[in-house]
Amino acid sequence: MGVTILVPYPLDNKKTGPEVVEELSKRLLAMQATQTGHFLVDGDVFESSFNKTKIHVMHNSEYPASVFSILDNGQKQIPLITDLIFDLLMLKVNPIYASRKQLKIESKGPRFELGDFLVKLGSVTMSQSQTFKGLLIEVDYRPCLIPIICWELIREFLQGFLGQYSPTTIPVYFTNSVPNPHHPVPYQKSNDTYQPIDTVQQYLEHFNNYRKQTIALMMGPNK
Amino acid sequence: MDVQINAALNGIKNLRASVSNIFETAITAEGTFLLEESIACVTQNFKETETCINNLNAPSVPFTLGNTSYLNYETDLEKQNMYNELVNGYKWYEKTHQYSAIASTLLQHNSLKRSYFSSSNKRRRLLTGAHTVPPKHVDHLISTFNVNNMQLKIYRPFATNAFLHINLSRVLKAAIILRGLMIEWVTVKGFNESLDNVDDHWSESRYEVFRRVQKAAHSAMLHFYSPTFAELAIRSFITWFGSYSTLFSEPCKMCGKHLLNALPPTHRDVRSLDPTHEECRK
Ligand SMILES: [Zn+2]
Repeated sequence: MGVTILVPYPLDNKKTGPEVVEELSKRLLAMQATQTGHFLVDGDVFESSFNKTKIHVMHNSEYPASVFSILDNGQKQIPLITDLIFDLLMLKVNPIYASRKQLKIESKGPRFELGDFLVKLGSVTMSQSQTFKGLLIEVDYRPCLIPIICWELIREFLQGFLGQYSPTTIPVYFTNSVPNPHHPVPYQKSNDTYQPIDTVQQYLEHFNNYRKQTIALMMGPNK
Repeated sequence: MDVQINAALNGIKNLRASVSNIFETAITAEGTFLLEESIACVTQNFKETETCINNLNAPSVPFTLGNTSYLNYETDLEKQNMYNELVNGYKWYEKTHQYSAIASTLLQHNSLKRSYFSSSNKRRRLLTGAHTVPPKHVDHLISTFNVNNMQLKIYRPFATNAFLHINLSRVLKAAIILRGLMIEWVTVKGFNESLDNVDDHWSESRYEVFRRVQKAAHSAMLHFYSPTFAELAIRSFITWFGSYSTLFSEPCKMCGKHLLNALPPTHRDVRSLDPTHEECRK
């Protein structure tokens, strides 16, 4: 595992999601990448019946033995990495923390290896109806653990692969300042050692955006 | 003589090609004009071949085939193929000879001698080799190294000989296995790969980029090696190796890009320390 950058791929009305995935897959294969199976990242939301505290429970097929959960009380997010048995625990606390099934999101698709790079083309679907929401492209440069050191290199890779849709600056996730418990000066994720939870938290940010869009759409006609 | 034979063979090849061209044109049958053109081509090629053949003169002396001529007397059907095999074997041998001659001149340019051994018997005095330096001296020398972004640590899992562990600026880890002051082996690993076990020193990195750096380090270790200036050799190597702190962040000096074949510039010039892709240098 190394620095991972998650990029939402904008869809115009000319092409559908599966068409874009196929086009990008062909491009990767032409760049001498090899497809190494599929991947899946999913996220469930459990909401407390007393206050608005949420628990996001997420899985990443890259770490099949772990459950990533993030406690979110609106102001602060507390991450926790546990064994798979955590899923069963969440079932036990069901009356207090109820699962919001219609907010469940998945990102899944083909996984490619290109030298030391790992590329995943994720189609995002939401709730049991599997409504298609968009595309999330994940690029992982495995040998490097410090985002700021290899961002330019990853940017060049993204540019060669996504062209005009590639980002020009490092995602905001890495530049937000995070309070430092050991030091008065806050630090930035970009200068910190990358952890598996960072990938999950990037997914969570994008998943939450899709959820907000969907809720806004549902609320829209009532106004 | 060789030139003439080659020209004649080429002539025949062209003639054949133009003849088969006629048949192809005849099959597709797109008017007689094209056919006429190909026939003219054949006539031209035929004339050229004829002149080439006329230029050839028969060898004045018969070829001496040496002992191989005895193969003519072979009556066993199975063994009659031996002549062809013999010719192939000869060609192969000739090539080996040629390549080894080239290799030998190349090696003479780059003297990679790791010992004092020389064939001259004139004067032989006992020198303290770079590999018999006392541990105290090694420790002292290494403690004087001061390269930016580099942390050095010495381990001695095997009695006297030191393992020098390097942490380079959160980019990579390396272990230099010393014998006295002589560098015997270099292992390069990722920042998140283990070097705690002795066995880890002989396994390759999971990542292509560090395997490339290790290869470069091995050739640099031979480049800097000097039996008489062991301290200078190791000091130069460490300084050179320190330039890898920008492995992921500095683009190639030649092409200006970060990536080539999905790899960053894994080569560092031994003098200027400039980063380049392996394929870009020179
Ligand atoms: Zn280059």
